[in-house]
Amino acid sequence: MFAVPMHDAQTPRAPFIALSALWLVLTGTLCNLRCTHCLNESGPDEPWLAPLDAATARRAIADAERLGVREIYVTGGEPFLHREILPLLEAALTVGATTVLTNGTVMTDALADALAALARGSRYSLEIRVSLDAADAEANDRVRGPGTWRRAVRTIQALDARGLLPIVTASDIADGFGAYDRFRTLLAELGVAKPRVKILPVFPVGRAGSAAAVRLSQADVDGFDLATLPCAEMRAVAADGVYACPILAGLPEARLSDGDLAAALRPAALYHAACVTCHRTGATCRNA
Amino acid sequence: MSEHQRIAVLGGVYANAEALAAVLADVRRRDADAIFCLGDLGGFGPHPDRVFPLLRDHGVRVLRGNYDEAVATAAADCNCGYSDPRDNHYARLSFAYTVTHTSATNRAWLATLPGHERVRLGPHRVLMCHGSPRRINEFLWESTTPDGLLRRLLAEHAADVLLCTHTGLKWRRVLDGGAAHAVNVGAVGRPENDGTPRVWYALLTAHPDLDVQFVSVGYDHEVTARAIEDEGLPPEFAETLRSGWWTTCLENLPSRERARGRF
Repeated sequence: MFAVPMHDAQTPRAPFIALSALWLVLTGTLCNLRCTHCLNESGPDEPWLAPLDAATARRAIADAERLGVREIYVTGGEPFLHREILPLLEAALTVGATTVLTNGTVMTDALADALAALARGSRYSLEIRVSLDAADAEANDRVRGPGTWRRAVRTIQALDARGLLPIVTASDIADGFGAYDRFRTLLAELGVAKPRVKILPVFPVGRAGSAAAVRLSQADVDGFDLATLPCAEMRAVAADGVYACPILAGLPEARLSDGDLAAALRPAALYHAACVTCHRTGATCRNA
Repeated sequence: MSEHQRIAVLGGVYANAEALAAVLADVRRRDADAIFCLGDLGGFGPHPDRVFPLLRDHGVRVLRGNYDEAVATAAADCNCGYSDPRDNHYARLSFAYTVTHTSATNRAWLATLPGHERVRLGPHRVLMCHGSPRRINEFLWESTTPDGLLRRLLAEHAADVLLCTHTGLKWRRVLDGGAAHAVNVGAVGRPENDGTPRVWYALLTAHPDLDVQFVSVGYDHEVTARAIEDEGLPPEFAETLRSGWWTTCLENLPSRERARGRF
């Protein structure tokens, strides 16, 4: 991780409005891949941010329910590497709509069947976001690793065949302008009748970070409604504390509490270069 | 705060005067003592000015939707929150047409509309809004609106019944053994992605237990579809009215609701 300056009284802050989204950084930075632009430098080595234990995750889900949460997101790392993923998804789906962000490379038919059964048994939507970084295999695999495109595509087809309507999520890294159309074309070629595509900007954090990246100043946000930033309505629970933003989870400067979700419902310093990206692009990490 | 025994509540007119006229005629046969519209008078449809006299002639109490807010101020876009370029393409065409074809008088009237309405329905404290009580363009879909959120919104606003629209899809939730209710009344200007051209509104009656009836109404959708084409609006908008399947602006649908449609 690049060192970032501590925030101070001059740092702009996003107000806390409501806990609309709870993020669980379920596997910390444990992942089977090592993507070149990974937001939190996840990989197969010993994770620098530990996975959540199931009890902590369950407590966060229960606390979020009491706080009137709207939806729950499960990320990592690769969340399907967590041994308790299915019972935790079942618990989350009793509280609200739940989304899993996966690289799509560890899906099995049995797991897809289990997810379909969870979705059928819940009154709330189960959403699966499958990451691809390019519609063609070569460009994608340069970012995500050899063979990842083929495995992710197979996962998309497996989920779609079970009626789960996965959302293909890409960082705007390789395809640039026209990415939506290229992914929509790919999905049509794969036989996906109801294509869902989400494009996110590349954030200057993790492996795509830069020590020279700019920061937001008060002048940058004058006249801007900071309550519209995603972090005004979300909190991310990781093994070492609660954060305003899932992509800053694990960074000591971003930590809002040591683990108490309610204690983290306070304004968050917009001190990181990634905050510039959210402010500039209007990006949302929600599904839509 | 006005008090009622039976109210009709509709939303999402989307400049569909033919559908609105049919719905209002249906309401008149059902003994409602007040009619409320939860906003979004324009969008998708032709000749947006035609819905205003219908609403006024029937004494409909109208709330402001995100589309109305944007049209009133001639904002940069409809504040529908799309990121998919295809959805934004259709949203831009629809919004530009609606702003251009809504008179200055009607735009000024839209600016005066309230964002919320509170009424008594028998013993029930009813709160009406467009999207959600906290945000005019928040989508309260059935599959992404948890009980815990509804309880919190109702408690924050000291209400027993929450009425909203904005999604175009109707649903109802009974909470805590009937002590609280949430109802998305659906839309009267656009079919509900079910393969039929019929549109929906809600009739709420205090018995004193709350009775919620969703009413579907058929209308001459071909008239509106042809007017859409004649006005040069995207043919996909006309196709939706004819087929009953949504063809555009699908991005925000959760998987559960998206799975029910054709596209």
